[in-house]
Amino acid sequence: MEQAIEHFAQLTPDKAAVISADETLSYSALWKRIRLRAKRLREEGIADGTPYVFVATQDADFIVTYIAVHLCGGISVPLDSSTPEERQQQIREEVSPPINGKNPLPSFRGNKWLNGKCSDILYTTGTTGKAKGVMVSKKAWTANAENLTDRLGFTSDLLFIICGPLSHLGSLSKIYPTLMNGGTLYIMESLKDLNAFFSVFQLPFPKFATFLVPSSIRMLLQVASKDLAAVAPKIDFIETGAAAITQSDMQRLCQLLPYSRLFNTYASTETGIVCSYEFSKYGCVPGLLGKPMKHSSVRIDGEGRVVCSGDTIMSGYVGSPELTAQILRGGEVFTSDLGSLDNQGMLRLQGRQDDVINVGGYKVNPLEVEEAVCSSGLVSECICLPAPHVLLGTVPKLLYVPGEGLETKPKDIADYLRGRIESYKIPLFYEAVEAIRHTYNGKPDRKTYRKD
Amino acid sequence: MKEHIIALLTEALPMVNIESDFLFSELDSLGVTTILMLLSEEYGIELDARDATPRNLKTIDAIVEMVKSKLANK
Repeated sequence: MEQAIEHFAQLTPDKAAVISADETLSYSALWKRIRLRAKRLREEGIADGTPYVFVATQDADFIVTYIAVHLCGGISVPLDSSTPEERQQQIREEVSPPINGKNPLPSFRGNKWLNGKCSDILYTTGTTGKAKGVMVSKKAWTANAENLTDRLGFTSDLLFIICGPLSHLGSLSKIYPTLMNGGTLYIMESLKDLNAFFSVFQLPFPKFATFLVPSSIRMLLQVASKDLAAVAPKIDFIETGAAAITQSDMQRLCQLLPYSRLFNTYASTETGIVCSYEFSKYGCVPGLLGKPMKHSSVRIDGEGRVVCSGDTIMSGYVGSPELTAQILRGGEVFTSDLGSLDNQGMLRLQGRQDDVINVGGYKVNPLEVEEAVCSSGLVSECICLPAPHVLLGTVPKLLYVPGEGLETKPKDIADYLRGRIESYKIPLFYEAVEAIRHTYNGKPDRKTYRKD
Repeated sequence: MKEHIIALLTEALPMVNIESDFLFSELDSLGVTTILMLLSEEYGIELDARDATPRNLKTIDAIVEMVKSKLANK
């Protein structure tokens, strides 16, 4: 990508490369800022194989830092802005394990799971249900970009709106095909300010596109369908993914955007971007995610799990060869997604094998939530379960037994969790109960609760 | 009305301090949409994306004023 930006800085120096609320950077300005930032980072010690941990701010400056780290040969480790400070520190230590008491950063090159091919570490709950650092290589990013360009059609006249977190694959992956094709990125903090989102469509660009998780699509359909219809002729494509979109939402979106191409994509941090299905062209079928893209392959194993291979897959988990070996074997990523392939080779998802709760595209491990709640002393025990939600599809719900002599209220628990775990992991629904059901070996009985 | 709206929104968004002086900055897109949907249903008014401005959602008092204004123009 660095080469592409340098190329466009010479070819189309004045063209807007990145726009955010406070500034617009042309390709030449972007390249200049990246080189200056890289110089500063080198002075700070960022060199070949050095991890650089930073919070993913939703602005043009993030793009500058992210690419400058790569220009130094470093490893970008962008964190979600709601990552608690204590967790940020843990991650800094995790990506820089001390060796013989010396500054260990370049030791990453010696990690046999890394093989010297890591350009990013992205933190996700993802496939394993545990928050882990996923190592993504430069080769994987290039393959992801080519998959997206080939299937979705990124072009130089496109303005791509990023309104999701840049610490996650869904949004971060779009900066590559956009800038590698000489297009323009528009970065928003979030979809919170819907007026700001729709005002982007007034900019003088011929084509617009964006990535929206299904819950964001549901929100727009609920409160902004007129606005969406008003900008319909300008929208080239919308990609969704990271969670299941309902058939009715797909159909409604097709009706509102009759001129747009609408895609449902299968991707995860571990697998990269693997399949995408144009439901506006081929029909609104829930769970259908299309054929694998040019750099990817998919098969279903004997347990019905989706197994992915190809150039987009991760290099492994940071500092955890054991966990890596559980998921990544023989060049294949064994996901926890259950699926099937139809006679045309199209992937159809049918649920998950584990207890992970998908909250609007974010994966939440219920054990992590329960551990955080129990550490409060506000409850004697609890269980975190998925519950249906009108916008997000599913959200964490907490059943809890108040601590002895306490009258614990939901807000007490939510207030305690704020700043201790990421905001999307905080349960949205609460229910005080007299006891939690357990299995014969004393674990919370998730299966019977899920059947309730 | 104010107390009723506080109770309604606190139950729906337990992680948000509804009485914050910087309410809009505490909200995410889910929070904004939840507020619009809940108040539309509760008061039989039409609230959409154009109403989701930082000014209208700055504080609980601003939200109450927005609802009153919508009810008056119903």
